[in-house]
Amino acid sequence: MRTFNLPDLGEGLAEAEIVRWHVNVGDVVAVDQPMLAVETAKAVVEVPAPFAGTIKTLHGKPGDIIATGAPLVEFDTAHGASAEVPPTAAGHSRAHRSADAAHVGASSDAGTVVGNMPIGEHELIETAQACGYSNNRANGNPRTSPNGRLRAAPAARALAKHLGITLTGLSGSGRGGVIVVADVITHSSIAARAPATTPPAFHGGEGLRGLRRAMAQSMTLARDNVMNCTIFDDADLHHWREGHDITIRLLRAIAAGCQAEPALNAWFDGNAQTRRLLPQIDVGMAVDTPDGLIVPVIRDIAGRTAVQLRREVDRLKSAAHDRTVTPEDLRDVTFMLSNFGMIAGRYATPVVVPPMVAILGSGRLSRDVVAVQSGLEAHLRMPLSLTFDHRCVTGGEAARFLAAVLRDLEKDT
Amino acid sequence: MIEAINRAHTWELAHDPTVVVLGEDIGVNGGVFRATAGLQEQFGKNRVQDTPLAEGMIAGMAIGMATQGLKPVAEIQFMGFIYPALDQIANHMARLRNRTRGRLTCPVVIRMPHGGGIHAPEHHSESLEAMLAHHAGLRVVCPSSPARAYGLLLAAIRDPDPIIFLEPARLYRLVKQEVADDGKALPLDVCYRLREGTDVTVVTWGAMITETMRAAETLQTQGVSCEVLDLATLSPIDHDTILESVTKTGRLVIVHEAPRNCGIGAEIAATVAEHGLYDLHAPIKRVTGYDTIMPLARLEYDYIPNAARIMDAVRETLVE
Repeated sequence: MRTFNLPDLGEGLAEAEIVRWHVNVGDVVAVDQPMLAVETAKAVVEVPAPFAGTIKTLHGKPGDIIATGAPLVEFDTAHGASAEVPPTAAGHSRAHRSADAAHVGASSDAGTVVGNMPIGEHELIETAQACGYSNNRANGNPRTSPNGRLRAAPAARALAKHLGITLTGLSGSGRGGVIVVADVITHSSIAARAPATTPPAFHGGEGLRGLRRAMAQSMTLARDNVMNCTIFDDADLHHWREGHDITIRLLRAIAAGCQAEPALNAWFDGNAQTRRLLPQIDVGMAVDTPDGLIVPVIRDIAGRTAVQLRREVDRLKSAAHDRTVTPEDLRDVTFMLSNFGMIAGRYATPVVVPPMVAILGSGRLSRDVVAVQSGLEAHLRMPLSLTFDHRCVTGGEAARFLAAVLRDLEKDT
Repeated sequence: MIEAINRAHTWELAHDPTVVVLGEDIGVNGGVFRATAGLQEQFGKNRVQDTPLAEGMIAGMAIGMATQGLKPVAEIQFMGFIYPALDQIANHMARLRNRTRGRLTCPVVIRMPHGGGIHAPEHHSESLEAMLAHHAGLRVVCPSSPARAYGLLLAAIRDPDPIIFLEPARLYRLVKQEVADDGKALPLDVCYRLREGTDVTVVTWGAMITETMRAAETLQTQGVSCEVLDLATLSPIDHDTILESVTKTGRLVIVHEAPRNCGIGAEIAATVAEHGLYDLHAPIKRVTGYDTIMPLARLEYDYIPNAARIMDAVRETLVE
């Protein structure tokens, strides 16, 4: 017969209340098998069997309060020896077994009444090295990388990774030899290209639609594809009489220019490197509308009379403003005229839209002081800006074109 | 570890007559975790004093004793019970040296169990080290092995300034270790390198050491070499050692059981970002508890970082 007394469950409370029994008299229990639950002032704790045997007596029923150290369970053990388990033994027999271990950390006590204290048998073997301050830092020396380990700005590392460049061997131009983004760029082939930058983003914009969207797209296309080159000059309209139709005179002058230099009335395909000189001159005329820029086309300007051209210009202008321009009226333009001078501005750098190769801009007319043989005179003059795609039009062709335009414009009829 | 703590108390009580131990149930009953078992029997009621259940009073008493030449070692039963004592700790204990321009120091140690993992009720599993570390004038220490519990507690008792000594409750009886009971203290304010490595630095403390070492061992079999630093003194932080290790490895993972928000991991990460950014090959990762109340028994192991979470974080730093 062996008696198991209620152990001190760790907090040092004097007593515990039996909550429920998990075993009955006559049960055969194994070591660690839960026998009962007791409640202390803090928590309900399971009490396991400290050894194997047959239960002979249970001291107390649920609700009874048992004093620490008082008999709790009597066992009939295999050995039959009568012994009393010391009341200080823990409820947890594994800890009890390790009580003899000559190790700090092992104990004869389960050690807590709250919850369940994990108990390990694992023996810790560690090499703990107290680090301390290094002499290097203490002396105020900047940290250096041992073993040639690289020091690089995170952005530089990210860029190098993106470009597939290894940083090894790069010399850093940053403070303390740190590799910075500029070092990676210098090292890479992208140095030759413009750095990729993104305009600042903002919130709350409205999406472009219709004409404005079309303009954005065609201008982007032009920017990415055309080598624009612009020449400026002034047409002296001193000999003009009242009543000249400026738009019609400009169209006639363009026809004269194209006759002198057909290279400017052409389409050019930069990818295919092909050029097509066009027999008919179909001039796109930029019309400013509240909705945006619209460019209806006046067909065959060389083959029509001034009256016919005026009628066609009027029709297209009103169609543009009414937004009744048909797709046919916008298609297959061979040369562009931008008459911005009707509003303001003398010179501009008009943009060639592919596949065309040239655009003529006419600025605001003004009376300028002109030096003539006999002295100074005030002449009416028209500023002209001719942009051409220098990939397929030579400067000479463009200048001769402009000269022909000027000659035609300066005629008095 | 609990016995190492007990032995450290015993050694210092025996060798320094000014050492006084106080706290709730620490005398007759030997403490809720048995850290002070047998001390009152051995050294008497004057030197090992049971106090009322009043943490503010315990801290106040300790300060009073310290100013009069004693070296009190006080126990707060659980870290979640420290709040009533904070007024004394923050407003007086931490300031005494400064307030008296060095005339008085405050050689107090306040010990308390730290962290969860023992299926305890509410308020018994807190990890509040960041709150204490935020106070100038306090040193916060947290051992992760019986040997360091012994050596650092001795150092803490002998130090002339106040020290909060956090004992990972989960480790109290989890590991056994040969510890020479020779009264030798270990240095405060330094990290302990538990494992040398070249690929990634893992900084942690307290009970998280166990999970981190397990993760490091598994990772080693996969060819990943982790350097494990036990922070040990949580305030002031041994930043130099961490920075030097990061210089070597280029990667940093910080593991703590406490919630992420404003945790000590954030302080370490910020310092490495300030002084070690150019050595980093990958963003710093933190493996922490969650920003919620520490859960009760059923969910506490979902809350506490484990080896799997630590290994995931280490692998993430290695992707870069």
